[in-house]
Amino acid sequence: MLWLLAAELRKLIRPLVWGTGLAITGFCLLITWGGANNARSALASPRIPDVCVRAVTAQCRQVTAHAHAAARTAAAATSLLAQPGEIGHVAAGMLASVPGLLLIALVAGGHWGGEWGIRTIRQLLARQGRRTRVLTVKWLTIWAAGVAALVCCWLVLAVAAPLIVAGAGLPAAHAPMWAGLGSSASAAGRAVIVLGLFAAVGTAAGAIARGQLATTAITAGSMLLALLVAGIASIGRLSPASFVQAWMNFDAAGYLPTNFWSRFVSGGQQSGQLAGLLGIVVTGAVAAVIARWRFSADVTV
Amino acid sequence: MDVISCVGLTKRFGPAIVVNGLDLAVSSGQVYGFLGPNGAGKTTTIRMLLGLIAPSAGQVFLLGRRLPDPRVVAQAGSMIEEPAFYPWMTGRANLEVLGATGGGCGRGEVARVLRLAGLADVDVRKVKTYSQGMRQRLGIAAAMLGRPALLIIDEPTNGLDPAGIRDIRELLRGLAAEGTTVFLSSHLLAEVEQVCDRVAVIVGGRLVEEGAPAMLGAIKRRVRVEVRAADSGAAARLLARWTARHADGQFLVEHDSGRDVNGVLVAGGVIAEAVTVERPGLEHRFLEITGKEDARAVAAGR
Repeated sequence: MLWLLAAELRKLIRPLVWGTGLAITGFCLLITWGGANNARSALASPRIPDVCVRAVTAQCRQVTAHAHAAARTAAAATSLLAQPGEIGHVAAGMLASVPGLLLIALVAGGHWGGEWGIRTIRQLLARQGRRTRVLTVKWLTIWAAGVAALVCCWLVLAVAAPLIVAGAGLPAAHAPMWAGLGSSASAAGRAVIVLGLFAAVGTAAGAIARGQLATTAITAGSMLLALLVAGIASIGRLSPASFVQAWMNFDAAGYLPTNFWSRFVSGGQQSGQLAGLLGIVVTGAVAAVIARWRFSADVTV
Repeated sequence: MDVISCVGLTKRFGPAIVVNGLDLAVSSGQVYGFLGPNGAGKTTTIRMLLGLIAPSAGQVFLLGRRLPDPRVVAQAGSMIEEPAFYPWMTGRANLEVLGATGGGCGRGEVARVLRLAGLADVDVRKVKTYSQGMRQRLGIAAAMLGRPALLIIDEPTNGLDPAGIRDIRELLRGLAAEGTTVFLSSHLLAEVEQVCDRVAVIVGGRLVEEGAPAMLGAIKRRVRVEVRAADSGAAARLLARWTARHADGQFLVEHDSGRDVNGVLVAGGVIAEAVTVERPGLEHRFLEITGKEDARAVAAGR
């Protein structure tokens, strides 16, 4: 099993995986840069109602003061979130939401569905006939690619985000550099579980689709469909996307978004975190059963 | 001991019966040729031997153990049709990954099979830069990885130049001499004839002939006779008892004994310049066998 795991990890050292990891990290950097710039713009010109722009009534002065205070608070929150300790929330949230799903879909497509596309599945199964073992190792390695991207993303953001915020001219965060590390680590830990779910869906998709593009499409498509279903008030709570929302407890974004998930999920009553975890485990188990069932079929490529 | 044994092996894809009650027995240390026209069920049989597809009926025993058994399948080296590799990796890395997939093998073993396959000089090149012949050699190297007791290879000489074909032929003979059993499917019948100890021919998923290559099919020998131009007329009269064709003093007689033919000529006062017995090659006999089977299938409405 360990030899097989080593072999599968070695196969991950390929341009597709590096490229996808770099794209995700670049996306996180872009989001941070955009968030810092939005916060600076808001600080420079807070949102003041038109009627109060020229008016000098006491009520308008109060509204203007309130808008300036809100902008300063938001800017301070952005600065704080960009600290190396806190920025883990962004990395974890991004990897446990749509960007992470797309990464896993691409890696599953190349690393698992691609075995059929380039017909190496024949050699793989002729060497290692224990199909459950092959499935398990594929799932673990796809998951590992997601976790590696999460760690990489956090490390890059930890170095770059304070510089981006300083470059944008936001006020310095009056907090220790590693403040919030604990809660960030907790979010990252929860994101690892979500990545495991995405990887399980990707593994099942590969066993069903038996091709690179189809695996990517089914992995991303099925979870995006779940996200759409989560927006339906009557049945949304039973969608795997709602389980992810409940488990990650994504909150509404400030200037620097910490996820691309919560905005798609209905505003109805949310399940508790444990119910979310249970839902994730059950969804993963269903994906595993489907994967094992489909993978037992003849390999005719 | 039979290294491969199939009993009533059958595979159906929907209504189509691709392999139909196939019985095979391959003894240890043999180079065993597995022949048949396109669509005869050769690759399907090989896939069943390797556990890639499950038989619809019948049993397969590999290295003495009944399939499905993942452990025993991993003990057989294999190459199915055009070998496939990870194009972003080097030839060496591909073999190392394959070795690890099967439970690990040392760097020395990878170097050994690369050397045997004639790829030692290009092992650090990415596979995507390999020619078809080099990929074929890498496929054979992969099959030999870990010194398997049984090699199952499908068309090993595809894309190889004449020197490469000779190398592979010598390699297979060498492996058999060391005790490796080789189960070889190929369309190059001249190669099969040179390298195989026994041959099986399947048509329409059924075994139709099995035996040593030299004994395969109805052995119809012919006698080639060369006489002087002046003796042609007399020779034609004397040889008319057999089916014979002649042109420019050369006669081709459908008979298996040169002695009989020469005796008739001598008795008739014709002295032959040369009398040679010719045996048709495996290719000729293979076409005869498969053609006959096709005709039978048509007659039976199959």
